Amino acid sequence: MRLLLVEDDRMLGASVQRGLRLEGHAVDWVEDGEAAADALRAEPYDLLLLDLGLPRRGGLEVLRELRRGGERTPVLVLTARDAVADRVAGLDAGADDYLVKPFDLDELNARVRALLRRSSGRAEPVLEVAGLRLDPAAHEVTLDGVPVTLSSREFALLEALLERPGRPMSRTRLEERLYGWGEQVESNAVEVHVHSLRKKLGSRFIQTLRGVGYVVPRAP
Amino acid sequence: MRSLRGALLVTLLGAVTAATAVGAVAAYRIARREIDAIFDYHLRQLALSLRDRALGFPGPNVETGSDLVIQIWGPDGARLYVSSPGAELPDEAVIGFATVSTPSGAWRVYSAALGDQVIQVGQPLSVRGALAFAAAVRTLAPLFLLLLLLPFLVWTLVGRGLAPLDRLARAVATRTPLALDPLPEQGVPEEVRPLVRSLNGLMERLSAALESQRAFVADAAHELRTPLAALKLQAQLAERARDAGERTSALAELEVGLDRAGHLVKQLLTLAREERGAGEKPGEEAVALGELAAQTIADHARLAEAKGVDLGATAVDERAVVRGDPVALRTLLANLVDNAVRYTPSGGRVDVAVGVGPAESYLEVSDSGPGIPARERERVFDRFYRRPGTREEGSGLGLAIVKAIAERHGARVALGTAATGGLTVKVEFPLTTPTGTAALKIPLRESS
Repeated sequence: MRLLLVEDDRMLGASVQRGLRLEGHAVDWVEDGEAAADALRAEPYDLLLLDLGLPRRGGLEVLRELRRGGERTPVLVLTARDAVADRVAGLDAGADDYLVKPFDLDELNARVRALLRRSSGRAEPVLEVAGLRLDPAAHEVTLDGVPVTLSSREFALLEALLERPGRPMSRTRLEERLYGWGEQVESNAVEVHVHSLRKKLGSRFIQTLRGVGYVVPRAP
Repeated sequence: MRSLRGALLVTLLGAVTAATAVGAVAAYRIARREIDAIFDYHLRQLALSLRDRALGFPGPNVETGSDLVIQIWGPDGARLYVSSPGAELPDEAVIGFATVSTPSGAWRVYSAALGDQVIQVGQPLSVRGALAFAAAVRTLAPLFLLLLLLPFLVWTLVGRGLAPLDRLARAVATRTPLALDPLPEQGVPEEVRPLVRSLNGLMERLSAALESQRAFVADAAHELRTPLAALKLQAQLAERARDAGERTSALAELEVGLDRAGHLVKQLLTLAREERGAGEKPGEEAVALGELAAQTIADHARLAEAKGVDLGATAVDERAVVRGDPVALRTLLANLVDNAVRYTPSGGRVDVAVGVGPAESYLEVSDSGPGIPARERERVFDRFYRRPGTREEGSGLGLAIVKAIAERHGARVALGTAATGGLTVKVEFPLTTPTGTAALKIPLRESS
C-alpha cells in the first residue's frame, strides 16, 4: 500500500516510516502541511498518516481541505493532543481514526490495516480466493493450507491484487503501491515480482492483460 | 490569640463601669450638698424658733427621738437645758454655723444668742452622710441593674457586628484549593471590604500562578509525547531487526533518541526551577562575566569543533562583574552558545563578547547562522516555540530559560542582527558596583 506520512518530528517520522516499510508499505514522508497538500494533489495515496501540530499549515486544515475536495482517502491522525475536544475536532474534520502519541508499532500497523480494509470495502481481515489465503496482519500466505514464503514486495503486490479480485490493476498503479519516493524502481520490477509469485503459487492466480495490467480472477 | 469580642467586652464593660463609678461619686456629692443645705436650714429654723418661743412666741415642738440635739447655755457657761441627756455638744459657742468634732464624730451646730444665753442646735454629720449615700444609691440603682445586663448585651451585639467576618471566614474556609474565584463584595460592611479586596487580589495572583503552572505541566506532557513515541518505535524496530547490522543502527538511533529525551527533561527542570524562582533574589555572589564566557567557550569547544564552527571570544572587559546566581548565569550563557553553535552552519563562526556600557554590563553572543526575522523575535522566547522549518532537534526551551534567568537578574535580553547576518543576542545587566576585590567565583561544575 502507498501511504503518506506527515510528521514534523524527524526522529519520530523516520521511525514510523521504517516501521511501516517493514510491513511492506510504500511510505512517503513530508514534514509540513504545505508539502502534505502538494503531495496529496500529486499522487494517489491509499492512506494518510497525519500529525496535527505541523509547521506552515496545521494538520486539521490539510484534512479539511482534503475532504472538501471530495477525497475519501482514509486518514489516521497521529497526535500528542489527547483531550476529548481535540479528538472530536480531529474526527469531525474528517479523520477516520485517531492514535495518541506515544503509540505502539503493532497498534499503528493494526489500525493502518483496519483502515485499508474498510476503505477497500471489506469487513473480513483475511483475503481469500480459491484456496489462496492472505492474512495482512500475520503477514502470512497459505495455498490450500500450506504456508508460502514471500518477500515483502511480493506480499504487497499479491495483497494489492487480491483486494478486489476481478479488477485489473495497471503496472504503474502497482509500482506506485510498492515503491515510495526515492526508492529505486527497476523498469521491470513488477514483472519480476509477478514472475516470482507465479513460480510460488502456480500461474492460475495472476493473469496478464496485455496493454492493461494484471488481474486476479474471481474464480481461477 | 486575642479575641476581638473578648477585648471589646472587657474594654466596654471597664469604660461603662468607670463612668458609672464617677457618676456615683458625683451623685453622692450632689445629694450631700443638697442635704447639707436643707438640714442647715432646719437647724437654723429650729434654733431661731426656740429663741422666739423663749421670747414668748409659740414655737415648734421639738420631737424627742429625732437626731437633733438642743442645748441651752447660761451666761456663766452653765448648761441650762439639753434635749437628749448623754448627747453632748461641745461647749464652744460660735454664733452661726459651725462644724465641730467630738469624740462621737463630727457635728453640725447652729448657735443663736438669746440675751445672755446661747441656744445651740446640733446634728451628727454621720446622719447626713448616710442620707446622701442612700439618695445616691436610689438615683443610681437602675444603672447598677443595667451594669449587670451589660456583659450579655455587649457580647451579643459585638457578636452580631462581627458576623460578616464570620461569614467571610466560612466562605474562605469551605473553599477547595482550586476555587479561586473572587469573594463577593456586596453585602460586606465598609470596614471588612479592604480585607475582602486584598483577599481577592491574592486569589487573583494565585490563580494566575496556578494557571501558568498548569499550562506548563500540560505543555511539558504534550512535548514529551513525541520524543517518547519516537523512543518506543525505535525500541520496537531494534527488537524486530532482522540482522546484526540493522540492530546496531536501530540501537544507535535509539540512543540518540534517549539523549534527546534526556536533554528535553533537563531543560524542562531548569525552566521549572527558574520560573519558580521568579521574584526571588538571585543571590549576591559576584560573577565575572569574562571568566564565565571563557569557561562556557571551553565547555562548548568540542561541540563547535565537531560541527566545524569557529567558537571564540572577541572582546572581554574584565570590569564586567554582576551580582547573582553563578550557576544560573552559566546556564544562561551555555544555552545561548549552544543555540548559536547548533544553528550556525559548518564553516561559520560564533563570537562571545563581554563588555561594560554606560549603564550596564553585557554578554553578547553573535553567530553567522540564518538569524531570526524581526517579526519572530518576540515569539522565540515562548517555551516550546520552534521556528518553522527548523532542522535542529532542540527542546524549544533554550531561550525561554535564558529569559527566565535574565528576568530574575533584572537583565534585558535583546535580539538583533549580527554583522555576519546571523543572530546577535545581547544580555544587559544593570550596572552594580563591585565591592572591592572580593573573590570572583565561577563554579567549574558542569551545569548545562
